[in-house]
Amino acid sequence: MNSLLYDTYTIFWRELKRYRKSRSGVLIRLIQPAIWIIVIGNTFSGTQPLIQSVGFEGQYIEFMAPGVIILTAIFTSIFGGVNTLWDRRYGFMNKALTSPISRSSIALGKMSAISLISALQASLILGIALAIGVNFPNPLMIAPIMAIVILFSLGFSGISVIVAATAKSQETFWGVINFLGMPLFMLSPALFPLELLPDWLATIAKFNPVTYTVLLVREMMTGVTEGGISALLSIGIILAFVLVMIGLASYVFTREVNKPF
Amino acid sequence: MREAIQVLYSVETKSLSKSFGAVNAVSDISFTVKAGEIFGFLGPNGAGKSTTIMILTTLLKPTSGHALVSGYDVMTHPKQVRQSIGYVQQESTVDEYLTGRENLLLQARLNHIPKDQINKKIDDILELIELSDKQNDPVITYSGGMRKRLDIAGGLLHQPKVLFLDEPTVGLDIQTRRKIWEYIKKIHKEFQMTIFLTTHYMEEADQLCDRIGIIDNGKIQVIDTPENMKNAMGNEIISLTFENENLGDFLSQLSQIDLVKKINKDNGKFTLFVSRGTEVIPKIFQISSALEIKITSISLTRPTLDDVFISYTGREIRDDDTGFNRKREHAKMKRLRT
Repeated sequence: MNSLLYDTYTIFWRELKRYRKSRSGVLIRLIQPAIWIIVIGNTFSGTQPLIQSVGFEGQYIEFMAPGVIILTAIFTSIFGGVNTLWDRRYGFMNKALTSPISRSSIALGKMSAISLISALQASLILGIALAIGVNFPNPLMIAPIMAIVILFSLGFSGISVIVAATAKSQETFWGVINFLGMPLFMLSPALFPLELLPDWLATIAKFNPVTYTVLLVREMMTGVTEGGISALLSIGIILAFVLVMIGLASYVFTREVNKPF
Repeated sequence: MREAIQVLYSVETKSLSKSFGAVNAVSDISFTVKAGEIFGFLGPNGAGKSTTIMILTTLLKPTSGHALVSGYDVMTHPKQVRQSIGYVQQESTVDEYLTGRENLLLQARLNHIPKDQINKKIDDILELIELSDKQNDPVITYSGGMRKRLDIAGGLLHQPKVLFLDEPTVGLDIQTRRKIWEYIKKIHKEFQMTIFLTTHYMEEADQLCDRIGIIDNGKIQVIDTPENMKNAMGNEIISLTFENENLGDFLSQLSQIDLVKKINKDNGKFTLFVSRGTEVIPKIFQISSALEIKITSISLTRPTLDDVFISYTGREIRDDDTGFNRKREHAKMKRLRT
């Protein structure tokens, strides 16, 4: 157990070192969520009465800002596993696989690094949101919000690591990831209240872990509970999702890297 | 640290086979590598070298047969095998954006070197490979030779019992290549580990290896010392040209020399098939001066490892881009390492 933690930390350390040295990516990855929050946030400002009808006080942009924070987390973490493919192509993976560390620790180290990076990106988006005037009554909530983002991203990075370990090529990876990322975001109340979604969409959304993360973070930012889904239920579902993804990613990764690439 | 287990053979395979679908990459090979020797593993592209190395380093599971590395079965005790080996791959695997030292630190942690020994070991190895002054520069600023040295350093940092070097000098210029050979000799002397080396350069195998195994079509063709292999090729060749038209007894006297086995005559040029050519040459001069025959040129050609290699594999070693059987090689290599 001790050595699993140590090995996970070793890979985590390496991933973060690599991230730190590729600074240009940090800003580029902020552009898209920044556009979302500025453009979509203002485009739909006319929907304010709808938002208010389900109990929100503020502007539409304040309603959707948590959604965009989660959007950032979704995409940072679901793209994050791509370097698994590079590692397999350029030999680092073989180096790690021929050393005594366990296979799961490679997957877990990558996932934990991705989730931390994801939280960093999300906190920058939160900063942008505050800068353009989103009202955030309780700044003390920042730490727990980031904790939720880290947790959620840990689960989502598992998807990325699974797809990267299974895919043999970049093309397959990006194909699958793009197929998964946007629908998971769209099929959630990130941009529109759950109660106002058509029934069938709301039903689908209830099977999506993104939904609970958005509801929870939005509750933490605005203080409004939506659709009768309590914070505790959301936390429970997110935790379960993360645990399942940790187990699944370890299993699939270990199985896939033992096959020839 | 684990207790030292003395094993006679660092690598031992018994009827080892690996097939990918219908392709038998390695079929029924059995060989041993003695503890402490430098063993050269040669073969044309697609002969089964990479597959064998990948099995020995626990990256691939054999279809049948056994492989023991440092006394541990790769199938049943992969973790112990991994603790016993260092693997320096053909491509550079250092992280370019990390510094040299950070790369070694990563390697040390991957190999579970105790925390209190890490810094000392890194310092020592950096000194050995003469990279101490560049240790805090990002690897992206390193030359090809420096990267390779760092790769090798990473592979031996934890002082493995068996070090696998997969084509350690491929793509390097000749000066750098010789430098790398020096380092390999130096580390072998210093750490006394077994080195399992693959190469496409016969000169490299000749220079470094105590014994050589040649594999082709998934089978071991021969294993011996480079010296014995070359001797077994038999003849050295002496080529001779001279001014005189009238040779008199020259030819018959030459054929009297014990070591001369056969002489070919070809307008004004003799080709002598001999053994111990360096001893034959003085005798040729004695005969020629007695007969007043003026020799204009003489040359001695000894069999090289290239000749040995070609005689066993039937074709000159192929580079990936020569186009020879390219499609088949490509498919095979892709399957093995993409």
